[in-house]
Amino acid sequence: MKFRLIIHGYRNAYENMAIDEALLLSGKPTLRFYKWKPSAISIGYFQSIKNEVNLELCERQGVDVVRRITGGGAVYHDSEGEITYSFVCPQHFMPEKILESYKIICGALARGLKKIGLEAEQAGINDIVVDGKKISGSAQTRKYGNILQHGTLLLQVNVRKMFSLLKVSKEKISDKNIKSVEERVTSIEKEIGKISDEEIIKALIEGFKEKLSIEFKEEGIGEEETEIARKLVKKYESKEWNFKR
Amino acid sequence: MKAKNGISKGEKKVKGGKLIKCEIEVEGRKIKEIKFTGDFFIHPEEMLEKLEENLRGKNIEEAEEIINSFFENIEGIGVAADDFIEVLKKAVIS
Repeated sequence: MKFRLIIHGYRNAYENMAIDEALLLSGKPTLRFYKWKPSAISIGYFQSIKNEVNLELCERQGVDVVRRITGGGAVYHDSEGEITYSFVCPQHFMPEKILESYKIICGALARGLKKIGLEAEQAGINDIVVDGKKISGSAQTRKYGNILQHGTLLLQVNVRKMFSLLKVSKEKISDKNIKSVEERVTSIEKEIGKISDEEIIKALIEGFKEKLSIEFKEEGIGEEETEIARKLVKKYESKEWNFKR
Repeated sequence: MKAKNGISKGEKKVKGGKLIKCEIEVEGRKIKEIKFTGDFFIHPEEMLEKLEENLRGKNIEEAEEIINSFFENIEGIGVAADDFIEVLKKAVIS
């Protein structure tokens, strides 16, 4: 089976989330890679923006804040500190059980990471760990008969910055706790040093090819999808959406 | 459940690490306003809004049954009806 491969560079948070939703609507089997500029925080569908995000500091530092259509927690997407992927396909391509489909998609990512020398394995529901430390987290939704799973892969990690932008309790922000979080999270750079995005993406693509027995063809997003995404940007920029909880 | 008037809050960290929070406003025995927030997963997502809508105007004694029946059509990942019932109870008596 052929999947579409989309390699996007930097886009802002609203465009990135709008494109992922437009891809979900179309359901065309797709793997997309992208980055965030400016750096941004995405919050889970059910989270309260005011409870989770230090909005004032985000505004001062030019960090965008956006609500996702997927559940899960708040994520800091540093412009240089991560690569994000999204995976879309019709629901019937995947097991009915959501947990099973997480296993397949996260398994593909882990398989890809092994190719660049990381002892990566799937852990919990939706994480990938290296030596027990989290390097990637994902979130999935199912709508219109299709599946969207998107997630991040850490290239570098700055726990102090992440905590300053999120509303983390005073006890948690202590040096001791930051150190303990730093010990539970890792990044590509920490594990194997700096390597190019292209190399990482190439490895991940191989992981998907092998795990799912699929092929890829690099393409852009379609005209109709572009038009839908353009409209959806307005939703993701709106207070009504971002402050709904 | 003993309720007091005004907005009150409850939260619960479920096994696996997800956090569920509940904000509730009770008037007499009736739920005037209710909102669940957190980093959990529920499919389909919009069902949570429907659940909240359904709980508004109901007596707090009815909440347990409503949540249980809603979860027959919801798939929670790492969270279950009992977690939502517990966090609601915590909020009501807080």
